[in-house]
Amino acid sequence: MQDAVLAMLAKEPSHGYHLHDRLRRSLGPLGEAMNRGQIYVTLARLERAGLVVCERADGLPERPERKVYALTPAGQQRVAAWLAEVGWPKPDLAEFHLKLAAAAAARLADPVELVAAQRRELLRRLREVQQAVLAEPAGQPAGLLLEGVVLRLQADLRWLDACERAWSEVDDDVEGG
Amino acid sequence: MNVSSAAIRACGLVKTHGQGQSRVRAVDEVDLEVPQGQMLAVMGPSGCGKSTLLHLLGGLERPTDGEVWVAGRRIDTMSERALARMRRRSVGFVFQAFHLVEELSATENVELPALLAGRSRRQAGRSRRQARRRAGLLLERVGLAARARHLPSQLSGGQRQRVAVARALVNDPLVVLADEPTGNLDTAATLDVLRIFQELRAAGQTFVIVTHDERVAATADRLVSMRDGMFVDDTRLDGSHTGGLGGLIGLGG
Amino acid sequence: MGSIVLVVRLVLADVRRHKVQAVMLLLAVTVATATLALGLSLRGVSDALYEQTRAATAGPDVVALSGDTGPAVTSALTSLANEPEVIAHHGPYRIVYADLTTRDSTASPVVVHGFAERPGTVNRPLVTSGQWVRSGGTVLERGFATALGVGVGDRVTIAGRSYPVVGIAVTAATSIYPWAAQIGPGGGPSDYSGLAWMTRSDARTLASSHDLPVTSAMDLRLRDPEATQAFLDAHHDSAMTFHSWQFNANQDLVILRDSQPILVVGSWLLSFLAITGVAALAAGRAVEQTRRAGLLKAVGAAPGLIAAVLLTEYLALALVADALGLVIARLTVPAIASPTASRIGDAVGLGGAIVAAATVLAVAVAMLSTLRPTLWSMRTATVTALSATAHQPRHRPWLTALSALLPTPLLLGLRLTARRPGRAVLQACSTATTVIAIVALLTLYAQPERGYGLDGSSALPNLRGEHDRRLMLAVTILLITLAVVNTITFTWTTAMEARANMAVARTLGATPGQVSAGLSTAQLLPSLPGAIIGVPLGIGLLSLFAARNAVEPPAFWLLGAALATVLATAALTALPARLAARRPVAQALSAETA
Repeated sequence: MQDAVLAMLAKEPSHGYHLHDRLRRSLGPLGEAMNRGQIYVTLARLERAGLVVCERADGLPERPERKVYALTPAGQQRVAAWLAEVGWPKPDLAEFHLKLAAAAAARLADPVELVAAQRRELLRRLREVQQAVLAEPAGQPAGLLLEGVVLRLQADLRWLDACERAWSEVDDDVEGG
Repeated sequence: MNVSSAAIRACGLVKTHGQGQSRVRAVDEVDLEVPQGQMLAVMGPSGCGKSTLLHLLGGLERPTDGEVWVAGRRIDTMSERALARMRRRSVGFVFQAFHLVEELSATENVELPALLAGRSRRQAGRSRRQARRRAGLLLERVGLAARARHLPSQLSGGQRQRVAVARALVNDPLVVLADEPTGNLDTAATLDVLRIFQELRAAGQTFVIVTHDERVAATADRLVSMRDGMFVDDTRLDGSHTGGLGGLIGLGG
Repeated sequence: MGSIVLVVRLVLADVRRHKVQAVMLLLAVTVATATLALGLSLRGVSDALYEQTRAATAGPDVVALSGDTGPAVTSALTSLANEPEVIAHHGPYRIVYADLTTRDSTASPVVVHGFAERPGTVNRPLVTSGQWVRSGGTVLERGFATALGVGVGDRVTIAGRSYPVVGIAVTAATSIYPWAAQIGPGGGPSDYSGLAWMTRSDARTLASSHDLPVTSAMDLRLRDPEATQAFLDAHHDSAMTFHSWQFNANQDLVILRDSQPILVVGSWLLSFLAITGVAALAAGRAVEQTRRAGLLKAVGAAPGLIAAVLLTEYLALALVADALGLVIARLTVPAIASPTASRIGDAVGLGGAIVAAATVLAVAVAMLSTLRPTLWSMRTATVTALSATAHQPRHRPWLTALSALLPTPLLLGLRLTARRPGRAVLQACSTATTVIAIVALLTLYAQPERGYGLDGSSALPNLRGEHDRRLMLAVTILLITLAVVNTITFTWTTAMEARANMAVARTLGATPGQVSAGLSTAQLLPSLPGAIIGVPLGIGLLSLFAARNAVEPPAFWLLGAALATVLATAALTALPARLAARRPVAQALSAETA
């Protein structure tokens, strides 16, 4: 989040509310949950870290929305480093996998049931994103982000299918044996 | 929910294929009720019996056992002729392979069911003009007004499927039964078709969609999962999940 | 070499897979070649039978007939025996004109030849049952006896007097029954007559006791049997009538005058129907094999291979059918070439020309049937694009718009017909051919004819007319059978090809009844013009062969025939159409997807 806000300032110094608008436009429907307060909190942190400076507009009372933010040289370096970075969020599947294993081992819950519940949850999420996709006119950059979310969820659902098959077979083996 | 408000109802539905050792229960003791205005998705791996279920609901196949009700009328005991009339009035089909008549233009394909239905009302001349007009309106609605005179072979897969959707709607059916409607389409064409479905759903159209694509299934109000001819899960998707849309990309709160 | 092995292997596999089609082709070509071979061999067989009878009965080279009797005539005839070219003779003998009545009162004109009890060296009638004439008994010519239904031991009444039939015989000295009289009393025209022999004195008694007309005849053998024409020319100005053996042999053909065109034209029509039916099947097969084409191409075969397989298969089947047809023709020809029992002997083998003609016909049927798929595969071989769109039905907006105004079965039917215009033409041709045959049959039945009995009584039926009608009936039945098979094939092929579209129509709410009515209509639409065109075509075709005084059958017969043909087509298409329409929709749809 901090890196994204910094990168947005790389183009030109900007008001906080302006930054918020640009971010929301880029994120499309997914950005709707983001409120302006979050932006100001982030900007304040960046300012403390010496990555941005705040230039006050002259002759006006001191109000947050009147402040214009700009990158410091350190901030510019940080943006360059961020762009070069190839880190990628790691899918955290191990936790759910271990949940199933633990539940099965301790006979706390039926893993197949857990998978089904998880599946329902993911399907609901998928539905919501899918509806956002359908509401979005084709060709908008925000649509790409939604598409990425859809594909992620699809991948997760397919993995859940695999989990369900595998744990059903374990069940069958137990019942059969 | 009382019986009359259900567009489609099935109870104890069984369909077996083959004989003796190779006898397969394609649909095994299925109970189902689809209220009017609902979009139901049926998911499952290939061969789980979901297409057979759709055929049973549309009266294209007869169940081995159980009952099927469409629009408050029991159809599994109907004569073939009565079934055909029921399909004309109450059911619109959309197939994976489009099944357009290759030698007819888009408009001619769309008006075909209207012509079939118009005949039984003995108003040949008027119903023909009405059919043509309605076909034009529907093609406009699916965004193909400019391609009304094209043959299916001159249309892309997505366009063909949109023609097929228009054809399914021409008689204002109570329910649209779609069998893998996006199975032959790429992502963009899939979204086009799903957008049309969403609009129709918003207008109160009842749908039963058989698919193995989670994306298609996720647009439904309700999702039934099938394995080996049986329902293994029945989920309402229109309830809210934990966290908002923004939470999906880690921006929430 | 390898490709030949491959072709043979594919042909064998194909025949095994398409047994019904193979049998159909086999039967159609067999029938066509057999009919053609029969028609062409009638003349030769008739000649051969005369030859054999002539050899067995010491037939004369020339028969001298005098319209009168008496000493002057006798001496004139006797003087012929002294001519240098004449090496042997028989007669002169009496020919008495009388009436013959059997026990069951069938009456017929008869000529009685007065012969010696011991036959001479020329004209020795061959007794086929019983014995030769003796006093008080008569011998009947075999063709006559067969028509009368009289055998040895029966009694017949000739000119009011009863005679026992002591024998049955054949002779080459006269024409076959009913043209045994050869010359009428006083040299005038003669009626249809049978032939009987009596002893000379019995014949004389018969003639004098009732004052019956009598003529005289003498049988001559020439030094050179082939030189009959010279002998006849030399006696050109004589008061007598001379019949050479060649003339008699030719006379035998009179009874077959219409049989030959019936069979030959019939064989053309049969071949035509065979081509239409088999061509429809071949076209269907070629489409089906498009899918295999890709596979074969993958292993290095050219698209021409498919045509080669089809052609080889059809040629092989046609040649087998040709052989079968020739055997059938050989076995049936004696009965058909000799409708009377007046001749003896076996048919000789079919001539090379006939075998060649039948083989050409069989090969032509095979080639023409596979013409379209062959041309098509040759085209695709050059264009390389092996796309199935070549067989894609065309868009016909005006026809679609027109059909939209019609009731559902007609709507479906018209659109089905328009899908395959080629097949519609074939169906029309098939119907027209059937109607042509029926028109010919009706025309034959409409002809007035004199019976062979006394004063034209039909107590003795007109054998020639009967023979013609029987042949025409057989040919018509064969034609109708082929047309029936064609109609069923066309309907089924149409149903199978339109299977997906019909299934779609069913999902859109067409009833099975509407679909099957549509399939029937698709066949009926071309049948109707076919039947209507068939009537004038049939009349036109017949006018090429018919006698000048031929009578046309009543118009309502012809209209009735055309109407009956259309109705029969409707009935015939109903079953396959119904079967096709009853097939589960779901199956047809998923088969299309797969």
